[in-house]
Amino acid sequence: MALKYWWLLPLGVAAIAAVVFRLWRRTRQTPGRVPVAHADRLTALPSYQRAVAVQRRWLAVGLASVLLLAGSVLAAAARPVQAATTVPEQLNRDIILCLDVSGSMVDTDEAVVAVFAELVTRFKGERIGLTIFDSTAVQVFPLTDDYGFVAGQLELAVKALNQDTKSFDFFDGTYEVPGSSLIGDGLASCVRGFPPESGAKRSRSVILATDNMLAGRPVFTLAEAAGLAKKANVRVHALNPNDYGSADYPDVAASGLKTAATSTDGSYYALESAAAVKSIAHKVQATEAARLQGAAVRTLSDQPALPLGLALLSLAGLGAAVWKVRQ
Amino acid sequence: MPSLLTAVKSRMNIFAHRLALGLLDGEYASVFRGRSLDFDELRAYVPGDEVRDIDWKATARTGVPLVKRYVATRRQQVMFVADTGRNMAAAARGGEVKKDIAVLAMGVLGSLALNHGDPVGLVHGDRRSAGQLPARGNERHLERLLCRMDAVDVSDPPSDLTAVLEYTARHVRGRRLVVVLADEVAVDARCARVLCRLAAQHEILWVQLDDAELAGPGAPARGYDVAGLGPVLTLLAQDPKLADDYAQAVAQRHRALAALLQGNGIALVRLGHTSEVVGGIFGLLERHRRAR
Repeated sequence: MALKYWWLLPLGVAAIAAVVFRLWRRTRQTPGRVPVAHADRLTALPSYQRAVAVQRRWLAVGLASVLLLAGSVLAAAARPVQAATTVPEQLNRDIILCLDVSGSMVDTDEAVVAVFAELVTRFKGERIGLTIFDSTAVQVFPLTDDYGFVAGQLELAVKALNQDTKSFDFFDGTYEVPGSSLIGDGLASCVRGFPPESGAKRSRSVILATDNMLAGRPVFTLAEAAGLAKKANVRVHALNPNDYGSADYPDVAASGLKTAATSTDGSYYALESAAAVKSIAHKVQATEAARLQGAAVRTLSDQPALPLGLALLSLAGLGAAVWKVRQ
Repeated sequence: MPSLLTAVKSRMNIFAHRLALGLLDGEYASVFRGRSLDFDELRAYVPGDEVRDIDWKATARTGVPLVKRYVATRRQQVMFVADTGRNMAAAARGGEVKKDIAVLAMGVLGSLALNHGDPVGLVHGDRRSAGQLPARGNERHLERLLCRMDAVDVSDPPSDLTAVLEYTARHVRGRRLVVVLADEVAVDARCARVLCRLAAQHEILWVQLDDAELAGPGAPARGYDVAGLGPVLTLLAQDPKLADDYAQAVAQRHRALAALLQGNGIALVRLGHTSEVVGGIFGLLERHRRAR
């Protein structure tokens, strides 16, 4: 707690002291006061003493109220502020979930979608889109900040990606050409899902869940798609559930995916299980948010509640005292 | 230049026309001059003269009532005993300053005395000290006495009438006509003792200058106590219950004083305003004559 205009305090105290001094001087030498002798005729009366005691008590209350009022108003005028240093998180992120819906991926996809279904409830200003691909890519919904709609869509997606589902309508349009996991085409479609860059700077990222088990001939290779992403300033975060390589014998497919992801300034995660998706998604979101943090800002928030509350209280006391004294 | 005395005399002329003044004169003469067997002169009767002093034969001869004047047996010395503490600078019942009423009363009685060739003196004092201006029979001296009374100020030491009375009892020798100029003092045992002694030594007249009312409608809006210089919340005393208590207390206080004075054969007059002075002093002399 600090005072913004702290110099008001000594000034105000001096002013109050001056006023009190002048009033005191004036009451000392009030003209029009009549000298009377044998005042004990009145002052010795018990009823007078009682009345004076009551009067004096209420005057004391009034005086204390006035001083408290002056003090608290002065304190409020000096603007007590709470200083806080905050790093504002800019909520202008664009995220496209790019899910490979080939048979080997549904577990991971479900986990990814479930995590984002939860994350989206806390979004304020972020935009999210969902594209699924196998041999061809289908945009389930484009980038949007209509979170109600997004939540509905993600719920549908979770249901459809569940292994127990009977309906495969959700995947319609992903088998239009022969092949499977045409990942380069999928990623390129996702990258094309971002609008052209305009004035407002927004962070763009793609959550790419795939195992890079390419079968067939894609239009774009993964490397070309990664190049597109890089050109469009899109970072690719890849999640691979089927990375069976080790440090000594790297999985060729996995290492290709890793190279593509890191070339876009993104990251690569080899998933141990679908349960790990949650922590990874959070991590990715955190790093994306951290990229956009602005300069630390020192904010001062006024805290006038206490002095103004005291002022109100003292006003009440003053009112009561004046009423009683005038009686 | 006897300015105060001039003022007193002009006020006497304003408040009492010629007849009333003569009345006062006769009253003073019959009360204090006394009479001997040595015939002095005959003069025209003025109301207030003793009826038994009328020389009926001379009256029958001239057709005008005449009274016999005798050479006074007693040379009366008038000694004013006044409280000259700061109480006298306080307000009187009528709103004036008490010392002004005291000056007028002293001037009226003093000039009466001087008219009859009686010297006047003053014992004055407050809590710290007391002193006296010995009796002399000229107007300049009376003026000096009035000036001393008029010099009372709020910044003077506090009042103590009992101390002044004690001083009088110790220092004023011989029988005098003592005129006490006091305000509403509260009598106590010490005061009663010294009064008893004084009453045995002298002839006493008691002029009480009434203090300002402190409660009820006549009270000043804002007062301060000359004794302690503290404020007196007279506004509070507008409360009817408190005003009632006050009236009772004041009446009680006055009864105590009146009883004490009566017990010592002292006549009392209460003056609250300068307009009451001439009439009040006439009444005082009348009462004093009856009390003897």
